[in-house]
Parts: sequence; structure tokens; C-alpha cells
Amino acid sequence: MRYVKISKQDTYEFLERLKKIGTLYAPHKVSEKFYDFCEVDDVKDVEFDYQRTIRPPRRFFYPEREVLFTFDTHKVELYENLPSKEKQILFGVHSCDIVALRTMDSKFMDDQPDPYYKVRRDNGIVIGISCVPDEYCFCNVRRVEFVDTGFDLFFHELPDGYLVRVGTVVGHKLIDPYEGEIFKEVCPDDVENMSKFEEKRASMFTTTGNWDTLRYFMEMRLDHPMYMRESEKCLGCGNCTLTCPSCKCYDVQDIPSIDGRTGERIRYWDSCQFRSHGLVAGNHNFRETKLDRFHNRYQCKNSYCKDTTTSFCVGCGRCTYFCPAGIQFKENLMEIAGYKGGTT
Amino acid sequence: MGVIDGCAGDCRPRVGVYALTSCYGCQLKLATVSKIMEIADTVSFESFYMLSSASKMPADVDVAFVEGSVSTEKDLEELFEIRKHSRILVALGACSVNGGVQSWSEGEMNHDQLHAIVYGEEKIGMKSLQATPISKHVEVDYYLPGCPPEEDEIMYFISAFLFGTFPEPKDYPVCAECRLAGNPCILIERGEPCLGPVTTAGCKARCITFNVPCIGCRGPVPHNTAWFDSLAMTFKEKGISEELVRHRFRIFGAHNPDLEPMLDKIYKGGK
Repeated sequence: MRYVKISKQDTYEFLERLKKIGTLYAPHKVSEKFYDFCEVDDVKDVEFDYQRTIRPPRRFFYPEREVLFTFDTHKVELYENLPSKEKQILFGVHSCDIVALRTMDSKFMDDQPDPYYKVRRDNGIVIGISCVPDEYCFCNVRRVEFVDTGFDLFFHELPDGYLVRVGTVVGHKLIDPYEGEIFKEVCPDDVENMSKFEEKRASMFTTTGNWDTLRYFMEMRLDHPMYMRESEKCLGCGNCTLTCPSCKCYDVQDIPSIDGRTGERIRYWDSCQFRSHGLVAGNHNFRETKLDRFHNRYQCKNSYCKDTTTSFCVGCGRCTYFCPAGIQFKENLMEIAGYKGGTT
Repeated sequence: MGVIDGCAGDCRPRVGVYALTSCYGCQLKLATVSKIMEIADTVSFESFYMLSSASKMPADVDVAFVEGSVSTEKDLEELFEIRKHSRILVALGACSVNGGVQSWSEGEMNHDQLHAIVYGEEKIGMKSLQATPISKHVEVDYYLPGCPPEEDEIMYFISAFLFGTFPEPKDYPVCAECRLAGNPCILIERGEPCLGPVTTAGCKARCITFNVPCIGCRGPVPHNTAWFDSLAMTFKEKGISEELVRHRFRIFGAHNPDLEPMLDKIYKGGK
């Protein structure tokens, strides 16, 4: 792997240059406690130090709502609406979110590629950034706290800039024109500093231990009393799934237009916490109660992972941080599996 | 069954827009959607007093949109007539769907007490009733909530009928749309009593986007999935009193039968 270094000041210059390649998105502070990926207007507004964004990065490749095609019922024709090949650059993505994007790929690209997702993903540039955990983070026990792949560049914080890992050919091409100018050679002190950063970061995780048995305990303790107790608090609002970086469920609907002839087919994010998610013809519902729906998310995030072997949950903490009812996902999982490590 | 079945595209569906006791805001919204001229070309408005004085009451129509709550004897008589002359009946707006703000006192005081407070000894030229949603009196086919309803939903309903299909109701809360809009959560951040988690989606979190907590104008999420108890528990933990929570919930949801039992469960430890 190739390593280069950039100073804090030059990072702003690099962001300016990225804006010329495509649409640049980066974390912004949107209120006292919340951050979100926003289109970058002034590079000085970019937040390098943030915990988690409201909306997950998957929305840039798989938007909340998109028109798949339009149709004309009289001509019996449909008109594809594939996304443009415009470059989208995501700067400041944490390692958990990068792994989550790869679990998205496992469903949207690997087997039967989804053309809409693929066009955007192929034209997307992902630039990661290092972070330090807060009490909601548990990416370490999910084994995704340090990524090897899935990014074009990854910025590791140093006292005087960033050590940049180059992950792909696209990443090399971003560096090449500025090599020696804003991207410098890495010196032994920088490596020492990165090492110290990682050591300090590792000591900051509040959850410790080995979670490899979790999915099996989830499957074997389906009737655990936690589900009933916690689902009572649940509002069924879907915030946990809509902010989740690895949730994939969508619904499809035809929206007719006023001419009574044409219309559009849309795809939009669904949530397993909604009643209609499990509703099928004949008014039968696979997940009739709030408890069934609550249960489903816990199973899906932890046990439905035969293709990826890593769980869909990447420990980003969003589902707890953004739960209006204050349901503690991590603590509930630990209760089921009987883990004690690092309980605060 | 589609509205235009048997027309083969030659006839125009007949539509009626009626108002019971209300502010007329819903029909004003319908009359001012950006594509109103296209709607007027496509359907025949048999009755829509805001647009045409040639309106009849009642008229034989394929689709009737009824705004307002039943608040007088006359409202009730008109509503029965409208139902008799309409193939499809749509409740339009908060008053029609859930009774609206005028039904706030439902269950709190009886109609005679309310009447005495509002009118005193004065005689009025009509027989008033406790304000109720139209579904208490007639069969309603579809519900189009909002105060007033959203333009895209009005267009979706009319377009769906023109297509010979039906509008799919939303069964998830405003809270979901709010997060998708990228809004910070004012319930989490500021502890404001926001009703987004129990209110039917469709407004794309209009108020919260302007930093104002949801007061539930679109009514509780249908199919018994408005969890007043869970939300009351959340409010209680944030130190909000039962009285304030009840008042908030009742502004647009006084007729919801789940409301009181769910509040009791949280604040009084009932079942």
C-alpha cells in the first residue's frame, strides 16, 4: 500500500481541488448535537472531528427515494431513468461506514447487480478519516474499527496533518498530480504518531471482549425476555433503520400522473419497523406485532449474514443515538449474549 | 373498481368537493394546487362551491371529497346525502379524518356544558353537536389527512382514481420522514414534546424542518400503530407532565380510543 502525508492546511487545498472533480460531500455540524453529510460549499465548514452523521453514507449510492423509470400505459412503453455518471466524492467517512457500504455491495452488486446502485457506486469516490470512539461506538467488537479496503483514500490524524493510505487506482490518481506539492513523503515520526493515535484510540472503546459468538446466541435465545421488555418502549418510528448505514430494505410504488395515462415507478427506503413491511396479499402480515418487528431488526443486524460472515451491524451507534425512546441496542445485545466486557 | 371503468377514456369522472364545519382551508388547498387547470380539464366538478356557483348539493358523483367535522344537525343531514350520491367518499383533512381541533373537548365535557361555555344563554340558528369525524356517521373509503392536506397527496389521490386504482395509505410516522430529511431530532436534543413518532407521515416533517415540534395535525398513525404509551413514557422521562402530554395528544387526536388507556398505563400504572 502507498502512504503519503498532507498538512492540515493543504487538506483544505485538496478539498478545493476535489470540488473540481465532482460533487463533494463531507460532514457538517447541523445542530448542537448532530452532524450530517452535506454538499461542501465552503471547505472551512467541513468537520474533521465528528462522531456520527444523521443520515448514513449509503444514501449517496442508494437514495431515500428515486424514480426507477417512467411509463406510458397507452403506448405500453417504459422509459429507464438510470442515474448520471456524475462523480460523487464522499470525504470524511469513518471505517464503520466504509464496511457498511461493503455489506451494501454484497446485496446490490455482488450477485445480481442493481443498475441504479452500480452506476452511482462505480462513479463514487470514498475518502475515509480516522476517528475516536464515544460511549455509543462498538465497532471494535464488530471487528471493523480499522479497514483494509473499501476506500480510495484514508486519512489518519497526526498532530500536524494526516497520514494518507491509498486504497485504489482511483486513489492513486487523486494523489499523483499533487505528489511532492501537497502530498509529501511519510517520515518515521509520522508512523510513530499514527501508532500512538491507534494505541490511544484502542484504549478508548467502552465495550471490550470477543463478540464472535453473538449471532449464535441471538439465534438460540429467540424468546429472551429482553425483546418483550424493550419493544414496549419502541415507538415504531423507524429511526433506527433509516439512520442505519447497512439497512437495505426498500418498497416500490407506482405514482400515476393526472393525465390518467403516464406515471413513474419509485423506489424508497422501507423499514422493518413499519406495519406494511411484512404485509402481503390477502392482508396477511409476516410480522404482525410491534414485538415481531422489533425482533426482526435484532436478528437481521446480527444473524442474517451468511454472505458477508461479518454482521450487518457495524457498531456505529446510530440506532441508539437517534432512538427517541432511548432504547440501548448495544446493552440489549450484551444482555442476550451474556457479555460483560466493558459495561459502563 | 376503477372510477373510469366503462368510460373507455371518453367520459370525465364526476367529482364533488364538499365542506361541513371547517375553515375551508382544505378545499382552498385543493383549488390552488399548481395543476388545478389540468384537474379541471380531466374531471367534471359537479359540486365545488369555491370554484363554481353552478355547483349542486348534493350531486351524483364518482368521487366526493368531504372536508370538515360533523358539528351540526345540518352537517349530519348533508353528509348522509353526500354519501348516498357518491361512489367513493374521501375524508379530506384533519377535521374530517379525526374531528379536528374543534373536537378537542370530546370526552372531557359533555356537549351541553360546552354549548353553555361557548354560547351562554344566546339562541343560535342551528342545532349544534359534539364535533366528530365523518367516519363516526358514514362509511369512508379513503382518508387524506393534513391541516391542510399536502399538494402531492391530493395529486396522488386524484391521479390514482383516474387510473382506476386506489391511493395507498401511509402507515408510518412523521418521525421517519423527519430523519430522512436530515433534520436534527428536537425531541432528543431539546426535550420538546414532539408528536412526530405517533403522527401519520406525508408532510415530509414540514414543521420540524422549521424547528417547530409536531402537534400531530395529520392524526395518529393508522392500524393501531400509534404508540401513545411509548411516547408518553419518553415524555415522562423527560419530565413532561401528564396534563401537558394529554393536551398535546388531544389537539388533533381527541377521538382516538387508545389515547386515554395508553396515558393511564404510563402515568397511573394501569393496563
